Amino acid sequence: MSFSTQNDLDRNGGAIDAEETLRLIASLPAPQGIEDRVKSGVRAADRQSGVMMWPESSLNKARWTRVSAMRVAAAAAIVLVVAGGGWEVYSHIHLAPEPAAVAVPQRVDGSGGGSGGLSAAAARRTPKTLDGPVVATPGNSKQTPGKGSSVVLPQVHSGLQPAPKSSTTLPAQQ
Amino acid sequence: MEIVESAVHDEARQRAQEEALEALVDQYATTLYRVAFSVLRNQSDAEDAVQEAFLRVLRHRETLGEIRDHRVWLIRIVWNIVLDRKRRAKTRPETDDVAELARVLPASGLTAEQRAAAAQHHAHVMSCVEKLPAREREVMVLSAFEELSSVEIATVLDVTESSVRSRLFRARNLLAELLQHTRSIR
Repeated sequence: MSFSTQNDLDRNGGAIDAEETLRLIASLPAPQGIEDRVKSGVRAADRQSGVMMWPESSLNKARWTRVSAMRVAAAAAIVLVVAGGGWEVYSHIHLAPEPAAVAVPQRVDGSGGGSGGLSAAAARRTPKTLDGPVVATPGNSKQTPGKGSSVVLPQVHSGLQPAPKSSTTLPAQQ
Repeated sequence: MEIVESAVHDEARQRAQEEALEALVDQYATTLYRVAFSVLRNQSDAEDAVQEAFLRVLRHRETLGEIRDHRVWLIRIVWNIVLDRKRRAKTRPETDDVAELARVLPASGLTAEQRAAAAQHHAHVMSCVEKLPAREREVMVLSAFEELSSVEIATVLDVTESSVRSRLFRARNLLAELLQHTRSIR
């Protein structure tokens, strides 16, 4: 038998020995009359708790009903008082009257004359496009001589100035 | 008339509960005492713990009908009581285990010397058991009760059965090491 096996046996023997001791203690008989002592203790405790609960347990049912009815009445009275108080507060609240006229602020669009007393900052301005774009007429003095005649772009009239009569229109392309 | 009937009914129900409780005391008081003694190792403390356990049952006697296994339920109650007491008793001076064991252990066919030696040996073993971690110690102590299966031990300790087995395995190894160590010192 090797040393380790002997060692294991010793160890196991020790554990078994210990379990034997535990089993011996676990199997020790209870002292005589323990049941009676426990019973009398329980009975005494039960009686004591019964005495403590006496006012509640000894009431007859009619009286209990009367007490519970009184409790319900008291609860209802409390609810009434709270609800009445709430109604009292609600009825004393005056709501603001409806206005006869509504003041609408003036619109600031930036197109009117002047600022209208308000700043036009960040106001978006749009040009009038009803009459179409206007191309300024070039001056006649500084025209470069070409092969044929000078070229004049067709004018888009804004209706303000008539086109000069000296200008030559482009010949039709062939 | 209804009032009288209700009162009679209440009284009968109370009487039935008292009888059920007394039956439980008759049936399980000794088992509970042994469980309590294995932890507290003091007769009067163990008896007090049993008393307290039944007082707790008295307080919850309405739930008695819902309990499936009264034995395990009661052991669990007394187990919690004794653990609590032991925890509180740590501040107090411990009782002399050897003297207490010598007093309660069976001494048939033993001389006074043999009895003293046996008590000393058991006290030494118990001191090694006390050195075990709480979880392992609890499983070890409960496993010494032959009437408790590993499933029931698991129920008492509120753990799984596999956990009980692994704890028991660890407890045996640790206990063997502790005993060997003390032997080698001697």
